[in-house]
Amino acid sequence: MSGYAIPIKNLIAEFSKFPGIGEKTAARLANHVLRSSGEEVRVFTESLLDVKRKIRFCSVCFNLAEGERCDVCADSRRDQSTICVVEDPDSLIAIEASGEYRGVYHVLHGVISPLDGIGPDRLKIAELLERVARQPVQEVILATNPDTSGESTALLISRLLRERNVKVSRIAFGVPMGGDLRYTDKMTLARSLEFRRTA
Amino acid sequence: MSSRIPCRTEAIVLKTLDYGESDLIVTFYTREYGKIRGIAKGARRSKKRFVNALEPFSCSAINFSRKNPDHLDFIEGCDVAFHFQEIRSDLEKTLIASYFLDLIDQFTPEHKKSEASFQLLYDFLVLLEKKKTSASLLHLFELRLLRIAGYDPVLDGCISCRQPLNAGRGYRFDSVRGGVICSGCKPSDADAIPVSLGTVKTLLMGKEMEIENLGRLLFTAQAAEESRRILSHFIRHILGHELKSLRVLNEINRLQR
Repeated sequence: MSGYAIPIKNLIAEFSKFPGIGEKTAARLANHVLRSSGEEVRVFTESLLDVKRKIRFCSVCFNLAEGERCDVCADSRRDQSTICVVEDPDSLIAIEASGEYRGVYHVLHGVISPLDGIGPDRLKIAELLERVARQPVQEVILATNPDTSGESTALLISRLLRERNVKVSRIAFGVPMGGDLRYTDKMTLARSLEFRRTA
Repeated sequence: MSSRIPCRTEAIVLKTLDYGESDLIVTFYTREYGKIRGIAKGARRSKKRFVNALEPFSCSAINFSRKNPDHLDFIEGCDVAFHFQEIRSDLEKTLIASYFLDLIDQFTPEHKKSEASFQLLYDFLVLLEKKKTSASLLHLFELRLLRIAGYDPVLDGCISCRQPLNAGRGYRFDSVRGGVICSGCKPSDADAIPVSLGTVKTLLMGKEMEIENLGRLLFTAQAAEESRRILSHFIRHILGHELKSLRVLNEINRLQR
């Protein structure tokens, strides 16, 4: 970074803190800011500040929200008795994009990861149990990722909800649409047979 | 011409770390090269080369290339041999397997081959996959790894006066000196933990038993609790900190009670 004026160095250092951004990319972004108009930079900084000022957790599902409740929880047409449990807001967006789901969500903000020291106390699991106890819930769909951490989290939640009068389901795993069995790994194939359904 | 040397070995995934947009830095414990760290380019997006191969405790034959041990190895591909599906579909087993990985990671240096450490991890993952979970499996793994790492606790007699185990004496486990100490001797560890003769004998038996017979060794509730206390205390004393995976395991056990 030698050769850059101190304000540019500072900007590069700040961009470098972003996930997935190395020093070269940070320098490209800083140069883009330098070439932008004063108005463009003002809009950019305002939007950064807006995110910090206005966005908070939805008081019901812990999705990111502008007000007390997120758009999904505030929508009276959504089925409040079905809760889909997801790892993070990005997973919620992915399910919403499918256009198939009409229930509400619960965002855990992470998954159990013993090797990183992340246990249930660091997630919104207690809040989920409290929510299920407080409101009439018919089904909880566990939509954590099908990896070791996601599976562990789903197993724990399923066990904690066992005593409650609620149906607990897990999203299906298997061959993707348009996939080819010959090129599907054996673990996915085994799971697709395990989670097969009546045709 | 590439200056990288191609290598192939059996490996068990210890942990992964997201790197950049789509890469993973993976720590493996390998049979031929000990603990290695390598970068798997595009692993978070790849649907071909690494699918399901880089999950914790997956056992694979890996291909990697190495410039020198100071650089990250370059992971070229993995052929999965065992996924340990029974472990993954059982919360207790997953937590215990994670603790095994954490212990191996903490007790082994990078690039130092130890076939005994690899075989221990592999054998205990296979046992965990096939058998019911039990405290004995966890504590016998701890004991055997301590021995391989050079911290074999002295259990066959008092570490101070060297007198053999005697039913007429009480015993405590002294983590500072690394063994049991009789009631007639003064421990170096102010927090030395009382331990019954029965527990010491159970651990001694388990330490020497053939791996295929380990499933038959049953710990009483008292032996399990005492073993948990002395071994976790001893490991914390050696490492200087509590293992994250053990903290999570205890947290989840408390939650389910």
